[in-house]
Amino acid sequence: MRRLALLAAAALAGACLAAAPADEPLDPDKAFVPTARLVATLPSAPGGERHGIDVEYRIEPGYYLYRNRLRFEVTPPAFLVGPPEMPKGIEIDDPFLGKSAIFRDRVTIHLPFAVSIAKPGRYKVKITAQGCAEERLCYSPFPQEVVVNIPPGYRVMDLPAQEPPRGLPR
Amino acid sequence: MKGWLPLAGVALLAALAGVSLLLAGRSASPPALEAGPVEASPAAILAAPFTDGEGRAQVLGQFAGKVLVVNFWATWCTPCREEMPGFVKLQARWKDRGVQFVGLAQDDAAKVAAFGRELGVNYPLWLGEAQVMDLSRRLGNRLGVLPHTVLLDGQGRVIESRIGVYHEDALESRLVAITGK
Repeated sequence: MRRLALLAAAALAGACLAAAPADEPLDPDKAFVPTARLVATLPSAPGGERHGIDVEYRIEPGYYLYRNRLRFEVTPPAFLVGPPEMPKGIEIDDPFLGKSAIFRDRVTIHLPFAVSIAKPGRYKVKITAQGCAEERLCYSPFPQEVVVNIPPGYRVMDLPAQEPPRGLPR
Repeated sequence: MKGWLPLAGVALLAALAGVSLLLAGRSASPPALEAGPVEASPAAILAAPFTDGEGRAQVLGQFAGKVLVVNFWATWCTPCREEMPGFVKLQARWKDRGVQFVGLAQDDAAKVAAFGRELGVNYPLWLGEAQVMDLSRRLGNRLGVLPHTVLLDGQGRVIESRIGVYHEDALESRLVAITGK
């Protein structure tokens, strides 16, 4: 009798799963969540000396971002940033478009300061991103924005090794 | 106890059927979902300006009187490309039954042309700038996702607006229901 009940439960579960409607796709701001922070590391740090803004993306399972379609713009353009430094990502070979790369799960993109001193202020990082929900649909280019504050006295000048990282916000 | 055995067999078969249905469903793209409310008027839809592969101005209004299947897509959108062979077959089967497909993309013209040739697309693939996704959003595509397929009647009124992959058999059933043919 117990076995029969288990079988019936399995049948019900199987039927319910099969009949479940497809999930609604997430809003792009929920599928692809960017955050930004200032970074300043010494030359002796594991990744070497780095000054700039790290934009970290948290990407929902089953979703991915196109590496080469990410665009970043810092406003106001009071200080310049160099080209974004991105990990290689996961290579995909598209039968029509050829090889490209995508990001899943988490990725950090570094926007380096190209000047030695950044003026204090509130900076917006305007992002244009493109991505997809695996085998379901893709998001046309969508805008996102993250903000970083550079406090007064923030300095990103070269620092001698072994000294505390004075480049960090006070 | 013997009396329960047939019932147990039926339950087991039902469970297996359910699981196999689930697996079959997961192996292909999920079906398209209903999009949100439509905010564009038939006149605005039919007059929205696009260009063809040769740069000539085109509007959907030239197909007034036909059932239009308007497909928003892009070459970089893999699910879009996967559903298009089905559209090519449907266009061939329905061209003499008053159904016209049109693809709309905000994309690189050369890539669109190359993909059209490679797949042997037998319906117009038109291009536009921001107005492509703007029209898509006004046709209920709140999230700005692709593919997005909209069925219009002969007067440009929206019959259906769906996001995600529209499978060939599901779309054909819909065309049968709409046209009665």
